[in-house]
Amino acid sequence: MGILNAFKVRMNTLAIVLIPVCIAIDWAGHAVASGLKLPLFLDSIGTVLGALLAGPWVGGIAGLITNFISSGTVDPIAAPYSIISLAIGFAAGIGGYYGWHKTWQGRVALYILIVLVASIGSTPLNLGLYQGQSGVPTGDAIYAALVKGGWPTWLAAYIDEASGDIPDKLITVVVAILIYFGLPNRYRALFSVWRRTGDEKAPAPAPSV
Amino acid sequence: MSEPAVVFEDVGYAYEEAPHEAVSDINLRIEAGEWVGVTGPTNAGKSTLCLLAMGLAPHFFGGKLRGKVTVLGTESRAIKVIERSTDVGLLFQNPFTQISGARERVHEEVAFGPECHGVAPAEIEARVGEAMDLVGISALAARHPLDLSGGQLQRLALASLLAMRPKVLLLDEPTSQLDPAGTAAIFEVLSGLHQSGITIVMVEHRLETLCELCPRIVAMVTGRILADGAPQEVFNREVVQERVGLPVYTRLARSAALPAPRPVRLSESAKAFRTPIA
Amino acid sequence: MAGGLSLYQEGASLLHRAHPLTKGVFTLSVIALAFIVPSLYWILAIALILLILVIVAGVLRRLIAVALALLLPIAVLLLAVQGFANPANHTVLFAIGPVVYYTEGLYIAAIAALRITCLVVATFLFSFTTRPADITEALMQRGLSPAMGYVVQSALQIIPQTLDMAGRIQDAQRSRGLETEGSLPKRARAYLPLMLPLVLSSLVATQERAMALEVRGFGLPVKRVRRYEFADSAVQRVTRWALALAVPAAIVARLLGWK
Repeated sequence: MGILNAFKVRMNTLAIVLIPVCIAIDWAGHAVASGLKLPLFLDSIGTVLGALLAGPWVGGIAGLITNFISSGTVDPIAAPYSIISLAIGFAAGIGGYYGWHKTWQGRVALYILIVLVASIGSTPLNLGLYQGQSGVPTGDAIYAALVKGGWPTWLAAYIDEASGDIPDKLITVVVAILIYFGLPNRYRALFSVWRRTGDEKAPAPAPSV
Repeated sequence: MSEPAVVFEDVGYAYEEAPHEAVSDINLRIEAGEWVGVTGPTNAGKSTLCLLAMGLAPHFFGGKLRGKVTVLGTESRAIKVIERSTDVGLLFQNPFTQISGARERVHEEVAFGPECHGVAPAEIEARVGEAMDLVGISALAARHPLDLSGGQLQRLALASLLAMRPKVLLLDEPTSQLDPAGTAAIFEVLSGLHQSGITIVMVEHRLETLCELCPRIVAMVTGRILADGAPQEVFNREVVQERVGLPVYTRLARSAALPAPRPVRLSESAKAFRTPIA
Repeated sequence: MAGGLSLYQEGASLLHRAHPLTKGVFTLSVIALAFIVPSLYWILAIALILLILVIVAGVLRRLIAVALALLLPIAVLLLAVQGFANPANHTVLFAIGPVVYYTEGLYIAAIAALRITCLVVATFLFSFTTRPADITEALMQRGLSPAMGYVVQSALQIIPQTLDMAGRIQDAQRSRGLETEGSLPKRARAYLPLMLPLVLSSLVATQERAMALEVRGFGLPVKRVRRYEFADSAVQRVTRWALALAVPAAIVARLLGWK
């Protein structure tokens, strides 16, 4: 079973109620970063946290809807990137399923996986929307220099995008993990239904929806 | 005799990963139409009693259940909470976490439960109007739930349960976060519901209120039932005096060395103090 | 604070009255078409249609206010970078010292900026004329699960509350001496003390809310009640299909050599 088991849908009411909270944390993360004038987006902390707590579906759906709501209210350009947020939630959920957030090597792996998903996923969208730019001034300066220096646009676009994702996702993953371990054990256990594998003893009868 | 509303038979329950049972050896039979007050110090297991009757323990919390909890003829293990919600309602302490959080108007919030139950639209409208009337929030129908005060919000939460037409209503310290006016309003609604035949189980720590309202009181201590009976009977027992406390009237009578049975309500208290000691 | 996130503006225009699905399909199709059509003229035609609809809906002024702040920096970045560095560049437009600016890059940047403008305008047009609750209701009537409907509606309510709380926490922490201004490392260090209390307090309520929802029968497998009906018409149904089919048709046309 392995990885597929992480994706088995086990949505109980608790998991459903957690999703809007994660969406709000995504928004708050971004708002607080802008309030502090940090040069980062930090808009997927809730997505990663939700995935670690309650699995890839909770994280993925939180990411997806975070972007949908952003695009309908403050930033329509977020819409195409919804798919990336979904993928980040899935990636964090896979890491969480294997308990990567509990060891140092695992945390590094989780971080690298999320950076790769975000940067590789966003590059084709940037090429389609922005001719390869990312819309972040520093990244776009790198892009301009590289293209001018004869690099292929797709590679320049990737480096442009990754230059933003590398610091952004580092803080995102660190904050999400710190919050995760800041929660009471009992609270984390409430969400643990999704980790159960098929052959374990009968789980507490979770209210299903 | 008609079917009892709530029956606990040798019930014990421990939360997931908890070392001890939160309640043990609970035997309780509540007839349809009764209004039972449950009281006791912190950690007496009062809230757990409500969660067990609703089925949230064990369905929501996991944990280990011994014995049998039967509500309206169905054992709790055999029915999910969402199915139970057709007949049984549970009002929590905190009014803010009880609103669905998904509705923008008070009347839409009241309609949430009936909608989940698949009630026909015309019927929903009738029930929503009636429930809002009953708790006195009709004037707030078009407001946003989060613009309401705590007391109004708790009445909204109660209306939301009433719109589902419960036969049994469980209340876990429904007024602990309300001001006196809000509290009085809730109790007035409950008195009306009791008259109309709904079974009410209410956790409450204000003993005077309990004695005034409830014909029957269950006193709990450390997860067990200590006493069960009419208020005067319960609060005239030594062990209850020691471990649960007394309504102020009973305490006064006791310090005035009035003989048992001592009064538990204001009206009886007045009479007791007027009667010359023979 | 009630519904503080929605851009919806009351109105009685054709767009306000249209079925949410018609508007949704229109928005998605128009955006897709803006990126599929091959030349500047086609994009301008789409932009013109959008402009007319914006005027019909009576939201021109508000649209300019929100869209300009978003689009201007993007357009500037695109024009600056592409005119300077695009592989297609060879016709010099002007040169300032060593910095050479090219015509091809300018043209490419202008097209990209126009396409993004169409995306932004079409989306805002939809948001200005459609109540969020109507979108979820319309989708649920077409089979979106009530759980997902709940998630979206609830998120729309929780986000403004959480942002409010973020503001209050920021004030409280600042008054306790947390430095939220100054050098970048200083500001970065303030991030966690601001986020932690916010996140913990919003997570704590979830358990009770989940219980309260179950007590109200949330998740019972019943046939969902339509909360209200939307006016629909044959014209709208045909429009929806036509718009939805226009997208694959345009893709096929492009593949067959539409230039």
